[in-house]
Amino acid sequence: MTQHLTESDVALIAEYTRIGMTPDEVARMTVDLNAIIDSLSPITEYDLDGVEPTFHPIGTLSNVMREDVVGESFSQQTALENAPKQQDGQFLIPAILSDGGDR
Amino acid sequence: MMSVSSSFAHMGIAEIHAGLANKEFSAKELTTSVLSNIEENDKDIHSFLEVTPDLAMASAEVVDARIAKGEFEQAGILAGIPIGYKDNMNLIGTHTTCSSNMLEGYVSPYTATCVQRTIDAGAIPIGKLNMDEFAFGSSTETSAFGPTLNPWDTQRVPGGSSGGSAAAVAAGLVPVTLGSDTGGSIRQPASFCGVIGVKPTYGMVSRYGIVAFGSSLDQVGPFSRNVHDAAVCLNAISGHDPLDCTSQDIKTDFTVGLDRGVEGMRIGYVPAFLEAQGLTPEVRRKIEEVIDKLREAGAELVEIELPNAKAAISAYYVLGPCEAFSNLARFDSVRYGFCDPGHADMGGQYEASRAKGFGDEARRRIMLGSYLLSSGVYDTYYYPAQQVRTLITEDYLRAYEKVDCIIAPCAPRTAFKFGEIADPTQMYLADMFTISINIAGNGGMSVPIGLGDETGLPIGAQLICPAFKDETMLRVAAALERIYGPAEVAPAFALNSDKE
Repeated sequence: MTQHLTESDVALIAEYTRIGMTPDEVARMTVDLNAIIDSLSPITEYDLDGVEPTFHPIGTLSNVMREDVVGESFSQQTALENAPKQQDGQFLIPAILSDGGDR
Repeated sequence: MMSVSSSFAHMGIAEIHAGLANKEFSAKELTTSVLSNIEENDKDIHSFLEVTPDLAMASAEVVDARIAKGEFEQAGILAGIPIGYKDNMNLIGTHTTCSSNMLEGYVSPYTATCVQRTIDAGAIPIGKLNMDEFAFGSSTETSAFGPTLNPWDTQRVPGGSSGGSAAAVAAGLVPVTLGSDTGGSIRQPASFCGVIGVKPTYGMVSRYGIVAFGSSLDQVGPFSRNVHDAAVCLNAISGHDPLDCTSQDIKTDFTVGLDRGVEGMRIGYVPAFLEAQGLTPEVRRKIEEVIDKLREAGAELVEIELPNAKAAISAYYVLGPCEAFSNLARFDSVRYGFCDPGHADMGGQYEASRAKGFGDEARRRIMLGSYLLSSGVYDTYYYPAQQVRTLITEDYLRAYEKVDCIIAPCAPRTAFKFGEIADPTQMYLADMFTISINIAGNGGMSVPIGLGDETGLPIGAQLICPAFKDETMLRVAAALERIYGPAEVAPAFALNSDKE
């Protein structure tokens, strides 16, 4: 099997995708991802010179425009209903600009 | 001794409507019976994640009130029909978890268009159905809340990802359910559970309110035990929705032409599919039998080639994870979804929440998508996969110059046992015959064609049609139904079952 990704590559991807992983999990994920990427090889073996890509099955889609009028939308309360943490009618997150944390 | 299943368990839309119209039973009586049947029997298969008795009874009362006023004809094409929804479909006030810890406890603040349209058509919402986590899987084994069991053999998987939707119909718990299909997630479980499952053409049904997986591939469709019921359900849910710009203006009545038969139709088959590695002999024999029977019924059977279909799985496992990676970036532990408590910094909260919220397969696909879209790698996999998509689509267009519809295997084998397939790349092969249809955006469906002569388990034939010609595959399906009969309720759940 080709080594497409090393464990340190996978650790970087975990950081980028914001999925915290232990070294054991990174090791297992490296094996899994290398096997999956190996199975994708038919894609790299095609002669695709001059073939246009299809990014979407409905090729004729275009932007849909409408008048900019206010429609029905969630109330602030509804929008917050599923928030894990909220305060003063807003989403609450750990401080990101200075030292601190949840108040 | 367990009580036998409800006498409504075998009924389809036509029988229920006849019973309601003739006042043999009320919608409330029907709903009460369906709910108690689920209470009694769903513990054997775990198809439902949530049952919605209050909502169901309220809907039944509305239908009964209309019948009392002599307005049954105006009550909607799904009036009084119990229906279940895959748990990636929002229905206001219900939990929508996608079978993931990430969304445990999430309560939908709105309703998906396809769900709303069934309710507007008079359907009775019975509950939400189990699935593979975020629809990543072919067995429901990745559900964070435990798998669904196949009603034909509870040692075996129901298929996936819409395994709960297929199993609930196969067990006679409800006549109709909705599922979604990104690479085979309606058709493969329909095949494994011996029911009808339709993945309409991409653009037929609005996806607004469905938790997105692969946005250029996802499509919603019905499960049922007869072709007519699937067609009625499609009539209810198809058509343009301003909230999903891919949904097209469809005015087709899918029930028209079901009785026309296949005489004069040109139906294609792909000899290379029947030689495919991994296709079991019993499935191959069944598909060959169906080809013969369609010929006997008056269709012209034509050999066709889809030479690039063999690249479909690898194209899909590039495109699907890339789109999933983008779609699952929204789970940020702030606006909704799981939040790991006690973190003083935002980064730590993100990483812990997403690590604990997503299961193994979801993590694999997110990380794979991230890798495949990264600079340098993009040109090796993602861009070529989109070019291969063009080749696959052109294959189908060439085939449709010669044929109206295509017959193929649906799944390469009958239902496998729990734990039997542990290697992710082997699991991906479960969708080898269904994936190219999503890549091209065509319609496809699974129709039950009896039991395998080796395993004794259900086998489905796949019918494939050109984009927005879904009525042609339904017409062929109806012809097969006249040969093989409608889908049976799985024996252990059937009316005269001696289950103890």
